[in-house]
Amino acid sequence: MFIAEKVGKEWTMDQAPQYAIDHVANSKKNIFEFDFLNSLSAKISNFFGISSESLFYIDLGISKHVFLLFFVSFIVVSTIVTLIQGYISHKKNIPNKFMSIIEMFVIYLRDDVLKNFIGVKEYRSWAPLVYTIFFFVLFGNVLGLIPIFDLTGLIGKIGYNAEMLGKDNILYLLSKGGHTVTANVNVTFAIATITFVAFIAAGIQKYGFVQHWKNLAPSGLPWPLYFVVVPIEFMGLFIRPLALTLRLAGNMMGGHIALIIFITFIFSATAELGGLAGFGIAPFSISLALGLTMLELLVAVIQAYVFALLTAVFIGMAIHVDH
Amino acid sequence: MNPLLTPELGTYVWSLVIFMTVLFVLRKYAWNPLLDFLEEREKDIAESLKMAESAKTDLEQIKDESEKILNEAKKEGKAIVGDSKLRAEESAAKILNDAKAKSNEFLDDAKSKIEIEKKRAIKEIKEEVVDLSLELATKVLQRNVKDDDNNKFIKSSLEAVKVDEAKS
Repeated sequence: MFIAEKVGKEWTMDQAPQYAIDHVANSKKNIFEFDFLNSLSAKISNFFGISSESLFYIDLGISKHVFLLFFVSFIVVSTIVTLIQGYISHKKNIPNKFMSIIEMFVIYLRDDVLKNFIGVKEYRSWAPLVYTIFFFVLFGNVLGLIPIFDLTGLIGKIGYNAEMLGKDNILYLLSKGGHTVTANVNVTFAIATITFVAFIAAGIQKYGFVQHWKNLAPSGLPWPLYFVVVPIEFMGLFIRPLALTLRLAGNMMGGHIALIIFITFIFSATAELGGLAGFGIAPFSISLALGLTMLELLVAVIQAYVFALLTAVFIGMAIHVDH
Repeated sequence: MNPLLTPELGTYVWSLVIFMTVLFVLRKYAWNPLLDFLEEREKDIAESLKMAESAKTDLEQIKDESEKILNEAKKEGKAIVGDSKLRAEESAAKILNDAKAKSNEFLDDAKSKIEIEKKRAIKEIKEEVVDLSLELATKVLQRNVKDDDNNKFIKSSLEAVKVDEAKS
């Protein structure tokens, strides 16, 4: 009742959408401020002629999502390197539970994706990229589902006084908002950029610079058609990474927003109809959220797989030009 | 601007840097060693499968050969046994025949010896009879030479002896 009253005072129903968006969006402030990063940001932005008020100001400060990126990459690198090094240095060669999951993904991706789309001969040079994309995205997605930083929010809310904590406190800044790095379009766009560079590099490596760009359109068409085909193919080139970006970010964002909206049913019912209604709707809300979390777990794996698969497919398309 | 689609170039740059670092580290310490390891293991498995296959065919070949050898040995053994039986029978028959011949020889020899002995004995008996009759005759003669009966007796005795001699 205490929490219900407290929430009821603060909450109004029309806050729900904004609350959900805040949960998924990056923090508006940097949670760690470093002077050298601020001066570096200013220097780089000045070099490109971007003013500090501009939307495109390159702020290298550690925002919440950047912090989470470090967190995710630390987990990915430490987990995978430890497991794999432990596995291959052992003479018995029996993978443990986690290693056999990783091995299953690695072998599946190698045999069904890499060898299929990139080719038995060429796959080795692109395999690390595809594997890294898969596991990086997978860990980002799954870690986003674990509400690690919501606990810091709980500490902030219950353990301390919100006023005492202050709006600039790290715990407060960490607590509010979603924690799925892969729901941030900037992050997914960065990974998509790497895919973009990779499949262009693959084509140039195979055919040379000029021939690669000639491969863009099939040869032997009647010449007026080139005026149509070349722009379409050229646009397709840039649409591919954009589609990758929005697919992953959209999937992650949508799932988390839906999750939060289901939870806010409890607060809205409490605020509009009183504490008892909040308790009444809670089982319904929680079971919906639980089911959605299960679904999100599935989506997390599928989206990581799709990103890795499409990267392999695009690289394969650049290497095997047979329209 | 919608906060979900705001360009944050800082985050973008950080993402690139962090992802490239992760890629570099994992490529060096995870993916390449793991792929090498898996390839090696698969090669090992393929090789041992091949070896097992060849060992299996070898084993079958050896089995066939050993069966062949066994069969030959059996055949040979049978032949040897049959041969030796035949030979043993032959030699037994020969020994038996020899023995029979020898025993016949002995028998003939004995018969002829007996015959000779018999003749000699008869001869001796005859001589004895002559001696005896002479002795008898002298004795009779000393008693009554004049008696006719005696003469008759002597004559008949002598004739009897003659008949005996003729008989034998």
